[in-house]
Amino acid sequence: MIKTNMIGALIVALSLFMVAQVSVSAESKAGMVKMDDAMAAKVADAIAKAEAARKKAASVDGEWRDTGKFIKNAQKAADAGEYDKALKLAKRAEDEGRLGYEQAVSQSELKIPSYLKY
Amino acid sequence: MKKILISLAVLALTATSVQAGPEEDRMAFINYYKGKFPSVPDNEYANGVYAIDPVGRENWEAIEEFPPYEPFIDAGQEMWEKPFANGKGYKDCFPKGPAIAHLYPHWDKEQKMVMTLPLALNHCREANGEKPLKYKKGSINNILSYIAFQSRGNRVDVKVPQDDPGAVAAYEDGKKFYFTRRGQLNFSCANCHLQNTGLKVRTEILSPTVGHVTHWPVYRSKWGTVGTLHRRFTGCNKNIRAKPMKAQGEQYRNLEYFLSYMSNGQELNGPGARK
Repeated sequence: MIKTNMIGALIVALSLFMVAQVSVSAESKAGMVKMDDAMAAKVADAIAKAEAARKKAASVDGEWRDTGKFIKNAQKAADAGEYDKALKLAKRAEDEGRLGYEQAVSQSELKIPSYLKY
Repeated sequence: MKKILISLAVLALTATSVQAGPEEDRMAFINYYKGKFPSVPDNEYANGVYAIDPVGRENWEAIEEFPPYEPFIDAGQEMWEKPFANGKGYKDCFPKGPAIAHLYPHWDKEQKMVMTLPLALNHCREANGEKPLKYKKGSINNILSYIAFQSRGNRVDVKVPQDDPGAVAAYEDGKKFYFTRRGQLNFSCANCHLQNTGLKVRTEILSPTVGHVTHWPVYRSKWGTVGTLHRRFTGCNKNIRAKPMKAQGEQYRNLEYFLSYMSNGQELNGPGARK
């Protein structure tokens, strides 16, 4: 009798544990999806900013060689769910765009170097 | 007050150099190279880097005994002589041809733009219902090789009509491109081909600007074929990690206009062979 009760109790305990596990897993999955959505949005924003910076540099003929490539690769990484990689690439592209623009604008006037004597 | 006067004097000096005309620019370049390479005669600059690189010159002269660009000249001659589908041909567009390389680039008053030889060739094709050729690789290099070969011995003679503001602006635009630092490496054309001419980038000796345009198109061993001047511009821009401009776009044509003026008086000796 005692043995039967103990087995019953064990079965009930195990069932409760499994139910709890399933519920935790569902919550965690939902959490992950939310996190993924948030990261995807963050990456999309970073890529948009990088593209805007690239276009701004291009508007003054100041675009650097690899900026467009970094943006393309960032998009590829984002599509593959590699958000950290995508963020890094987009940030790099945005920096390049900003620097390329500043570089071009800082030389809007022609300056002849001092070593060339007239 | 003293500070203001000094500032004004500095501004005036800068303005003077910026407003220098094409001939003053060319003489400044010539004198700069004379100071840097006193033993090199002026006319040697037509040979590009081999004017200042004796070891490279030996290799180049050996290559020139069996020129790798010869098949391209032959293919270009066929193109020159073969009529288009409408029965007309290049000969009709360029009655002074085929030795016409020294007539380009020039300021086209009617179209208000710098006209280069590759662009003129494509205008001819399009006017006769033919597809334009690509500007960096492919068969445009054949016909350019033939024209360059036929034009050997002529001299670069670019004119910038001072009474035409458009021509002056195009020249100044090309000059500004030349002196503007660009790309991640922050180099201008002048950094390599004026300031540091004769020094090495890796194993390559940097060539002088004077003579840059005399020998195009060029068979480059690196390419394994003949390529155009604007293909080389593209490569240079990529090397300094800048996004290249469009071949035969306004920026590169204006740059060619400026560079060609700097080579005025140099003998045309294209097509050339380079590493």
